[in-house]
Amino acid sequence: MKKRSAFSQYFFNIYIAIKTVSIGMGITLRAFLKTWGLRKKSAGYDYGSGPVTISYPEEKDDLPLHSRNRLFNHVEGCISCNQCAVICPVDCISIESRKKNEDENPDAKTPERFKSKPLKLQLLRFDIDEGLCCFCGLCTEVCPTECLVHTPEFEYSKYDRDQLKYDYINFKDNNPV
Amino acid sequence: MSLQEGRDIDADGLTTQDLTINMGPQHPSTHGVLRVELVSDGEIIKAAYPHLGYLHRCFEKHAENLDYIAVVPFCDRMDYVASMNMELGFCLAIERLLEVEVPDRANAIRVMVLELNRIASHLLAYGTYGLDIGGFTPFLYAFRDREKVLSMFEELCGARLLYNYVRPGGVARDVNDSLLKKVEDFCDYFKGQLDELDRLLSGNAIFVNRTANVGVISQDLALSYGFSGPNLRGSGFNWDLRKEHPYCGYEKYHFDVCIAEAELGQVGDCWNRYKVRVKEMYQSLIIIRQALQKIAKFDDGIKGGISKTIKPKGEVYVSTECPRGELGFHLVADGSKKPYRLKVNSPCFNAISCLDEVAAGTMLADVVAIIGSLDIVLGEVDR
Repeated sequence: MKKRSAFSQYFFNIYIAIKTVSIGMGITLRAFLKTWGLRKKSAGYDYGSGPVTISYPEEKDDLPLHSRNRLFNHVEGCISCNQCAVICPVDCISIESRKKNEDENPDAKTPERFKSKPLKLQLLRFDIDEGLCCFCGLCTEVCPTECLVHTPEFEYSKYDRDQLKYDYINFKDNNPV
Repeated sequence: MSLQEGRDIDADGLTTQDLTINMGPQHPSTHGVLRVELVSDGEIIKAAYPHLGYLHRCFEKHAENLDYIAVVPFCDRMDYVASMNMELGFCLAIERLLEVEVPDRANAIRVMVLELNRIASHLLAYGTYGLDIGGFTPFLYAFRDREKVLSMFEELCGARLLYNYVRPGGVARDVNDSLLKKVEDFCDYFKGQLDELDRLLSGNAIFVNRTANVGVISQDLALSYGFSGPNLRGSGFNWDLRKEHPYCGYEKYHFDVCIAEAELGQVGDCWNRYKVRVKEMYQSLIIIRQALQKIAKFDDGIKGGISKTIKPKGEVYVSTECPRGELGFHLVADGSKKPYRLKVNSPCFNAISCLDEVAAGTMLADVVAIIGSLDIVLGEVDR
């Protein structure tokens, strides 16, 4: 760096300060002007214009259909193959089933889509502990009937940890919104 | 340190005493749960000892109890800022043991997501470094652009941070045309944004004064501590695993390795390490454009011939160039469904071990600048 006298250094410092601030403020001002007048536009992929934030509880981001959030099992399609419980790295799925006996239990009728190949097992319990789930998506990939899916629903906070255990056989009111 | 040890008598005959203070584990500028024990004489640091282990999650031991496919999601959680790069090393290790050929399309998709993730990671490093030095604006602007990358990843694989996308033998999902269009749009958009971000910090007099000639790590010191990645290139050493030991077909891509030069201070100072990251983002954009052309050209599937139950046998060490340096997986497999032993070589661990040598003799505020410039992620240091 060039050696300056104290007098010229003083004015040089002022010049540097003004230059530095004007660069930063210029960029800030440009970013501000880009969004000015476009506040009503929804945020997303329109590059360089429109707001970049969304006011969350009122306005929600459109999540893709395959986004990995809460798990949901369509139990009528489940064949109790146990593959999801085996591959789960955190063991959050527990399945109980028994050999099927249709006369004894009329509820356990074979669904229409499996008529050609009747089910051999009756699903007694299908629990998912969402508090343990690590959202890796391995269970949904191995599911042969594609009845176990990740849903885009992410707002399912509970006050109690036990409430995060979803029982898909006994409670029908835990459908994703 | 006992009280007696640090006692000294200064020129006026007064007794002075070293003060030991703890920075962290809950400190915003330690980038995670790092505790640094600082021995200070006034505002001058005499010694800085990093204490690790606050985020230890037994990854290596836990991996021995899991199927190979189930280890991949846990690899994500090591360096949660660059998950794609973390998964890749483990998948490459399995592929090398099983001698699986990965399709060209899968390789091109891998390179695209790796470089997108590198941009996201460097943007975080850029933003938080500005925050450490005292500028809040760069942080917000970096996160604005990082958000675009994360949204693309969410559309690609369904998750924003912990992707579980790179799999042994290929990738989990194929990309569609609308996503490729978005990546292309992003490249066009981000080039201009990057110029702006670069100007915002690099030209700032306060930032330059805080970083230039601060925390100089010479080439010899960097090599002796086993530095890698941008930290090593920031000391002026030409080393990039993408060039030296190419993987995923990196040998077919044209890009420059960014090496630090003496621009505003000495080679190896904090400013150099910051600048190397900014330059690397430009190079990543160039690689992404080439990868997009390759994805359009190849159409040979996304999964290599790999069986459902993975049972490799043998021993292998695979290292990849992550945003923070060389991440190595040493995998010992005994032919069963689970790894026999898995050891991870972390670049951040090497970087943070150097802290005592660099920080000794600097001011307290410079320690923050040095830690920020090393760009450590504690999830990877502790694993």
